[in-house]
Amino acid sequence: MSANREQVFPTRMTLGLMKAKLKGANQGYSLLKRKSEALTKRFRDITRRIDDAKQKMGRVMQTAAFSLAEVSYATGENIGYQVQENVSTARFRVKARQENVSGVYLPQFESYIDEEINDFKLTGLGRGGQQVQRAKEIYSKAVETLVELASLQTAFVILDEVIKVTNRRVNAIEHVIIPRTENTIAYINSELDELDREEFYRLKKVQEKKQQQTAELDALMKKAKAQRAQEDEASTTSKDASKKPDPKSSAKEPTDAPPSQEAPDLLAEQEDDVIF
Amino acid sequence: MEGVFFNVDNGFIEGVVRGYRNGLLTGNQYINLTQCDTLEDLKLQLSSTDYGNFLSSVASDALTTSIIQDKASAKLYEEFQYIRDQSSSVTKKFLDYITYGYMIDNVALMITGTIHDRDKAEILPRCHPLGWFDTLPTLTVATDLESLYETVLVDTPLAPYFRDCFDAADELDDVNIEIIRNKLYKAYLSDFYEFVSTEIEEPAREVLQTFLSFEADRRAINISLNSLQSGDLINPDMKRDLLPTFGKLYPVGTEQLASNGSDFEAVRSIVENVYEYRGIFETGNLEDHFYKMEMELCRDAFTQQFTLSTIWAWMKSKEQEVRNITWIAECIAQNQRERVNNYISVY
Amino acid sequence: MSENRSLIAIIGDEDTCTGLLLAGVGQISPSSQEKNFFMYQEGKTTREEILGAFDKFTQERDDIAILLINQHVAEKIRGQVDSYTAAFPAVLEIPSKEHPYDPEKDSVLKRVRRLFGE
Repeated sequence: MSANREQVFPTRMTLGLMKAKLKGANQGYSLLKRKSEALTKRFRDITRRIDDAKQKMGRVMQTAAFSLAEVSYATGENIGYQVQENVSTARFRVKARQENVSGVYLPQFESYIDEEINDFKLTGLGRGGQQVQRAKEIYSKAVETLVELASLQTAFVILDEVIKVTNRRVNAIEHVIIPRTENTIAYINSELDELDREEFYRLKKVQEKKQQQTAELDALMKKAKAQRAQEDEASTTSKDASKKPDPKSSAKEPTDAPPSQEAPDLLAEQEDDVIF
Repeated sequence: MEGVFFNVDNGFIEGVVRGYRNGLLTGNQYINLTQCDTLEDLKLQLSSTDYGNFLSSVASDALTTSIIQDKASAKLYEEFQYIRDQSSSVTKKFLDYITYGYMIDNVALMITGTIHDRDKAEILPRCHPLGWFDTLPTLTVATDLESLYETVLVDTPLAPYFRDCFDAADELDDVNIEIIRNKLYKAYLSDFYEFVSTEIEEPAREVLQTFLSFEADRRAINISLNSLQSGDLINPDMKRDLLPTFGKLYPVGTEQLASNGSDFEAVRSIVENVYEYRGIFETGNLEDHFYKMEMELCRDAFTQQFTLSTIWAWMKSKEQEVRNITWIAECIAQNQRERVNNYISVY
Repeated sequence: MSENRSLIAIIGDEDTCTGLLLAGVGQISPSSQEKNFFMYQEGKTTREEILGAFDKFTQERDDIAILLINQHVAEKIRGQVDSYTAAFPAVLEIPSKEHPYDPEKDSVLKRVRRLFGE
């Protein structure tokens, strides 16, 4: 148990600090937990969409591949090499925009087409130009789908990472920091109690000693009084009635009143604390 | 009298070609092919046709449409080479003329590769086998048109075609190549037409002229349509240089296409003036219409006796057949059954 | 970190590349003549070459936002693709003509399934 607490001096001030820390940790925990839940919700949403989008991509790419088959049917030759060699500048590009989800920046790819650029103006001029044009359009659409999917996937990767970190924090707070702080508080409390009990015991002892002394003194005084009375009895047996209260007050005088009065006060206070 | 001496030189060839023609896939066989569920089934179906075991060396899991296309094309080239080897004099020249078109493609390909510093070994396998000539690999030395012409092409049959496209294109780049290629093709078609008109006997002459006119018109229409989006590159003058100078559209239609054909509707209304091409823009795919017309011409060509035109008709039919098979294979492989009947079969 | 990234890179077979290039994603850097696509040829391209291209697109170049890779090519370097977790560039597995898309093999989908314990 002692391993899982912070090394502190068990003082009231530290107790206050620890209590503040525990409160902070609890607050942080609930905040992070909520963040994690928000992200996870988003995450599940994205995952589902990825699944759908991947299936859709399968279909789209198939249509696109087929449009290429149409080109090769119309031109009767493979235009692959020609296309490859005619490439110079990208017409189809993407822009990354950022979207804020619970403090996490998710990239959002946006595709844009520069209509000015056309590397394949004359491809299929003599034959199959329309099919080439069609394939171009279909593939542009397909790439748009791919770009969408890429956004989802990047969001997935980033969210996955962020959620992992957040969950790690949540778990750390829940399973390490909070128990540790609680342990520390319990430790400080028990130490303080221990001190209190020691103090209580000490005071009790002091009181006991005091009472003993008082009792002895009392007894002594009683004895002395009795002796005196006897002596008085022996000398004058008639003049005792007026002097009776006097020995009591005189007996109290030397016992030093304040401690005997303070002792029960302290006791009461102690009692309170223990109960609390 | 016109067919009397035909068989002396060409009887065997015609016999072989007519044999090949009978080996072309029929409508029923196509229907069987379209019923296949996998490429493996297709291979099985094809093995009962003239193609025989042309795919037997291919493992069933490595079977792709491109392999089928390659193998089927290889068979066509083999048969063509065989006929070419049997031919002599005018017939041989005629067959050579057929290959010039592929040569032009190869030259364009080589130049494209050369501009981008591609390795020869990378480009050569992509060249069309029928367009091969001995000096083809040396094309890579050329950096501009002039040196290309003087060092390599001057010794090839393409040399006369090149003379016309020297004017503006000094530097070679991608746009130029496509334009040069089409200019060459135009010159080639005209030359071929000239050859057919002067050296080929009737009735082959008439049939071949029809074929070439059709080819010229097809190019004219295609170029007009495909250059609509690149009006900045191809102005009317250049278009005039690209459009073939014979065919049913020539001269009135061609001139109109060059000067006025600046949008789809204009091209359409010009082309509609020719009876044969009326309605090709109405429905479906332009290319499909052309293929269909070409195949009908081919089928009709076989009704003539003692002609060289059967070779051309067979060649074109076979090319279409390879395209059909590739198309069907593609539809099967990509699971696009609803489009599978898009092939063109006339036999 | 993502501002300069505007290109889409490809590692794929000839048909995939041709199609995507037709869409206009291709770019050849004017200075270095470097392409942003890598053509995979069945039986010819070695695993090392694919890896080289993968590393170049994912690590060396900083102008690539998305890397598209054919699934059957990714399959050859599965270990590297699986262990790639960076957000930029996004690596996306796409089907090719001959190899339809198989969700079971996808690195990201595998992670999705693992996360939800399916």
